[in-house]
Amino acid sequence: MPTPGTSTDAATIAPIPADLAEWLAGRVAAYLDTTADAIDRDLPLAEYGLDSVYALSLCGDIEDTLTLVVEPTLAWDYPTVNAMAAYLRAEIERPAAT
Amino acid sequence: MRYSAFADAERLERALGDPGDPAAVFSYARCADLDDADEFPAEICRALDEFGLARHYVPVEFGGGLADYQDCLQTMRMVARRDVTVAVAHGKTYLGAVSVWVGGTRAQAERVGALVGAGVPVSWALTERAHGSDLLAGEVTATPEAGGYLLDGEKWLINNATRGAALCVLARTSAGGGPRGFGVFFVEKSALATESYRHLPKQRTHGIRGADISGVAFDGALLGPGDLIGGPGAGLESVLKGLQLTRTLCCALSLGASDHALGVATRFALGRELYGRGLADLPAARRVLATAFADHLLAEAVSVVSARSVQTLTGEMSVLAAAAKYLVPTRTEAMIARLRRLVGARSLLRDAHEHGAFGKVERDHRIVSLFDGNTLVNLNSLVNLFPILVRTADKGVEPDAEGVRAAATVSLPLAPARHERLSLLPRRGSSFLLGLPAAVAEIEALAAHDDRLAPLAASARTLLSTLDDLYAVIRAQPSVPVAVPTSSFVLAGKLAACLGAAEVVQLWLRNRDAAASGPNAALWRNGVWPTLALDRLLAAVGVSAPAPDSMYETAFAVLREQVGAGLLPSLFDVRLAEAGL
Amino acid sequence: MSTNGMTTHGRKDSANDLEERFGDPYDEANPFGHAAIVAADERAELPDGAEAVLDEVGLNAEFVPERLGGRLTEVDALVRRLRPVFRRDAALGLGYGVTSFMAGLNVWLGGSDVQRKWLADALLGNGKVSVGYHELGRGNDLTGNEFSANRTGDSLILNGRKEVINNAGRAVAAVLFARTDTRGGGRDHSLLLVDLTRLDQERFRRLPRYRTLGLRGCALAGFEFDGCAVPDSALVGEVGAGPDLALRSFQVSRAVMAGAGLGILDAGLFGVLRFALDRRLYGRTVAELPHARSTLAGAYADLLTADAMVTAVTRALHVLPASASACAAAAKYLVPLLLEDAMNALSVILGARFYLREGEYAGFGKHMRDLPPLGIGHAGGVSCQLTILPQLPRLLRGTGDAAPAAVFDTAAPLPELDLAKLRLFAPAGDPLLAVLRDDGTPPAIAAELAALTDAAAAMSPRETGVAAGPAALALTERYALLLAAAAVLGQARHGDAPEGWAELALDRLAERLRPSAALPVFRPDAEEALFGDLVDRAASGVGFCLDRDLVHRSLAP
Ligand SMILES: Cc1cc2nc3c(=O)[nH]c(=O)nc-3n(C[C@H](O)[C@H](O)[C@H](O)COP(=O)(O)OP(=O)(O)OC[C@H]3O[C@@H](n4cnc5c(N)ncnc54)[C@H](O)[C@@H]3O)c2cc1C
Ligand SMILES: Cc1cc2nc3c(=O)[nH]c(=O)nc-3n(C[C@H](O)[C@H](O)[C@H](O)COP(=O)(O)OP(=O)(O)OC[C@H]3O[C@@H](n4cnc5c(N)ncnc54)[C@H](O)[C@@H]3O)c2cc1C
Repeated sequence: MPTPGTSTDAATIAPIPADLAEWLAGRVAAYLDTTADAIDRDLPLAEYGLDSVYALSLCGDIEDTLTLVVEPTLAWDYPTVNAMAAYLRAEIERPAAT
Repeated sequence: MRYSAFADAERLERALGDPGDPAAVFSYARCADLDDADEFPAEICRALDEFGLARHYVPVEFGGGLADYQDCLQTMRMVARRDVTVAVAHGKTYLGAVSVWVGGTRAQAERVGALVGAGVPVSWALTERAHGSDLLAGEVTATPEAGGYLLDGEKWLINNATRGAALCVLARTSAGGGPRGFGVFFVEKSALATESYRHLPKQRTHGIRGADISGVAFDGALLGPGDLIGGPGAGLESVLKGLQLTRTLCCALSLGASDHALGVATRFALGRELYGRGLADLPAARRVLATAFADHLLAEAVSVVSARSVQTLTGEMSVLAAAAKYLVPTRTEAMIARLRRLVGARSLLRDAHEHGAFGKVERDHRIVSLFDGNTLVNLNSLVNLFPILVRTADKGVEPDAEGVRAAATVSLPLAPARHERLSLLPRRGSSFLLGLPAAVAEIEALAAHDDRLAPLAASARTLLSTLDDLYAVIRAQPSVPVAVPTSSFVLAGKLAACLGAAEVVQLWLRNRDAAASGPNAALWRNGVWPTLALDRLLAAVGVSAPAPDSMYETAFAVLREQVGAGLLPSLFDVRLAEAGL
Repeated sequence: MSTNGMTTHGRKDSANDLEERFGDPYDEANPFGHAAIVAADERAELPDGAEAVLDEVGLNAEFVPERLGGRLTEVDALVRRLRPVFRRDAALGLGYGVTSFMAGLNVWLGGSDVQRKWLADALLGNGKVSVGYHELGRGNDLTGNEFSANRTGDSLILNGRKEVINNAGRAVAAVLFARTDTRGGGRDHSLLLVDLTRLDQERFRRLPRYRTLGLRGCALAGFEFDGCAVPDSALVGEVGAGPDLALRSFQVSRAVMAGAGLGILDAGLFGVLRFALDRRLYGRTVAELPHARSTLAGAYADLLTADAMVTAVTRALHVLPASASACAAAAKYLVPLLLEDAMNALSVILGARFYLREGEYAGFGKHMRDLPPLGIGHAGGVSCQLTILPQLPRLLRGTGDAAPAAVFDTAAPLPELDLAKLRLFAPAGDPLLAVLRDDGTPPAIAAELAALTDAAAAMSPRETGVAAGPAALALTERYALLLAAAAVLGQARHGDAPEGWAELALDRLAERLRPSAALPVFRPDAEEALFGDLVDRAASGVGFCLDRDLVHRSLAP
């Protein structure tokens, strides 16, 4: 299984959103058909009824936008927007593995 | 053509003898009697134990004989073609143990491997009375205690819960639950205090009447620290990964049921005189059988390719397993229902034709679409994958062409599966779908030199455009609301059919040379079977790609020959016990 | 023969009466509840006391024409009155005696006054009468029948067997289809009405009961005759009239048998709705899951479609008897398929509970086991298709008048049923299909009608018999689907159907006629309206068929 934090292709890195939590809340909101400010960033996503398996799809968005390969279970291990954002921030800032 | 994955299946056939011989332990007559009495097929299971069937349930790395999932699939199919009840009763142990192969430590896997290898039945206890598919609502709890865990609560509708000696139990490890709030525990009854668990009564069932469908209630059952498989929050993940394997293997039950039903119906038609001629000589009746055979062959193709993919496209099993577990059982149900109308009154009568086997196999087979993730759960899994499947298609991600080639080339030996590669998400999309344009181009190139392939080429082109159209509709679907709309389920069904068709195309392409001679060559030559399969699958999508009538006639001739000679109804050349091995 | 029965043959609505007597099926203690019925099914018996209830209400009188002392006037009313029985237990419906009705029809149509009176009395005295067409070796191929009756003097000597015959073990009489000639052609067989209590027991034997895998409470058995004499007067109609009488009687019995299955889906739909409203998954009820909701609404739509078709066809027997042959066969072909598909879709929602032979929802699984044999019994799908096939070019030729409102409007009075007016071959121009030649017909349906018209015109005469190819047989399915669409439209115009139904029903029929490659049309508003109506009816004790009959059954507490 690919390891977290392995960036896919350094050459194609798109601009990384400055406010990761804001960006994530936007993605979650899209799945819930609502707006980003309606998302409490400290509430577990499951509370919104976001099916836990569906939350896996978030990792596709992350891969696309942040060019970070993350475990599909990211949203399980970091169940709130803020927790996930903090984790992603740390991963981005970590020097790329070979 | 011969396919080495059937070697053990043929060995099993030899060991079990002709099921039509009432004196055989595993005969149709015996199974029908057991079914009448709702009686567990204990003696038959013992015969399977003696054969060593359970070694197919344990991966080689943990001391068993499971090197190739295909061997396991085809051997289980041989059991199911005699009696689905027995296949469910015995094969359930694979399901029971799978969480350990996927999520356990080596020591745990070796411990469970030794038990399973010794013939100990293991159950898989996920479901609770009040919470069918909603695993995260489960109320059975495992509370830390004295270095181990206390297990409390009830699991219900569990296969072999009473007869089995061990169970893998999904239990809540944190009060809040959630995807990281459940663990899987390996529970050996012999290690529990007798008053800390009890069995719930066997439920009488619609089909597989002899199976032990019961339950178990735990009341402070003390488990050791080593009984937790993976971490305390790893339960859901290992269950979901395990399901990718078990859902694929469930195809064996459908194929076996379909082998049986097709045999009963074909023999009926060949023997029946109506209106002064044989029923099989009436064109409409013959078409019913030929269509059923086409459905059977495509189910076989999807099963073979999906099961081989466990070893070559391990990371894509989330999509392949969900598609196969949806497609194969539901299509087989529909096919059996159509054959039932052909068999007529005899499908109702217990004693008028082959021990009432037709009615029995239809009832038995209905379990397949219902357990181990029902039809909707599988479609829902596909809906969950829409974004990644569409995104990878849009981006033109390179398919894992080598993985596809290896999965589809049946003469190629495969390395054992690496379970750690199972993933909840097919990161690179589905290589079968992504590889479809190249496969279609390959068929067109072949057809350019061979007019007889024109029907296949036309259907393949239709398949490609159908898939594109489908992507377009999926893209236009509202972004993923929580309550999945009905339309998404419809689309998921269509996507599964396209994926199945892509597997069909690959299987034909990779083996057509090897299959060009031999008894079933007529199916492979001129693209007969894939053209029929695409006709059927595209019809399920709502697209018309009719195969020429002559191809249905060819298929019927092969079916008649296979059934008449005691061969397996199959793309491959497989001798059954009836053929006198 | 009790006179006691006669007093209860009054004009009160026996259907409501039966519902009341049968009580709530979900009441565990009810002797006619699902629990008791499933238990009886396990024993391969009819539920204790259930036949006595039917005797008390004099159900057999529904099978006997009014002028012979019974209550049979309108065939669509008969279907409605049978519904509570089939809704409860199809084995009871068939086992008690729908086959008595089939037997009776032949005699009402072709028998002498003496035979009619005798048979009417036997039925009104709660006797069972078997109908014996079938021989296992011959199936639907009636002309191949071998059971024979040879005339010697003023007797007929019977030889051979009739197999898989309902109530053969206990019937007092039987109508038998016998070979009386071997010339070949349509005049080789005759019908006999035989008093089974007066046969030479040395030369007549009731065969052992068949074990069955569905309808287990029904006692299917058979007869064996070995040179057994019956008087000449047993002949129903003339020598050689058998096929003609049988095929005309079939038109009525096929329509009725198609309607019998409606009760099963009505009960199944209620059961699954009950489960869906009660079961919680993912923090909501199953009924709140969009897919389950659509499935329930769709099954309801199809039940009403099937009912519309049965209603139109049974009424057509009165209003358009000359044209009834094809449409009755179409109903017997299509309705069981619609019902089976709907039950299958519902079983998916019910999940594991459909698979259990015990517990609250075990009745659903029993209904699932009973429905397919009900479709096979009497006449399998292909034999119905073969009835339609040779008529197809004529049915689609010409543009006759559209069926009048009375065919659809159940409040309209019906002319008396005149079996003698039924014909084996319909005149040109199907009046039900003509309903579709109207501006209000959805374009998708109209296009299919045009396509079928062209295909029927191009049919080769060689393709109209038993050796017809699959493409030709497929045309009869399209005919049946278009008839269903006509019935829906007719009902929408002249009947009192729930909001949303007609649109949804026509979409669903169009999808069967021509599946859509992309997404089928979704009509969320129509679906919600229909779902709402379904829940209302369930909560207020109203059945799910067009007539809104009152039903005793309770939702989960
Ligand atoms: C014979 C038999 C043997 C079994 N053996 C075992 C066993 O060994 N171990 C074990 O753990 N379990 C076992 N089960 C349980 C089986 O796996 C359950 O049937 C399954 O968990 C689903 O539960 P349910 O059928 O109660 O349906 P529910 O999950 O309650 O679902 C009811 C309905 O809700 C709808 N629904 C559910 N999920 C979705 C979704 N995601 N999207 C849309 N609609 C949905 C569907 O319409 C579904 O049919 C067995 C069951 C049977 C009948
Ligand atoms: C519950 C039940 C109760 C019954 N009760 C009675 C009763 O009381 N009295 C009585 O007389 N009978 C009774 N029957 C028997 C019934 O009439 C027969 O089942 C029926 O006639 C069909 O016969 P079969 O099933 O033997 O079909 P067959 O005629 O043998 O036909 C077998 C199949 O062949 C196929 N077929 C036939 N012709 C063609 C063709 N030209 N092209 C393509 N396919 C074709 C059809 O799919 C058909 O289903 C009962 C049956 C059942 C199930």
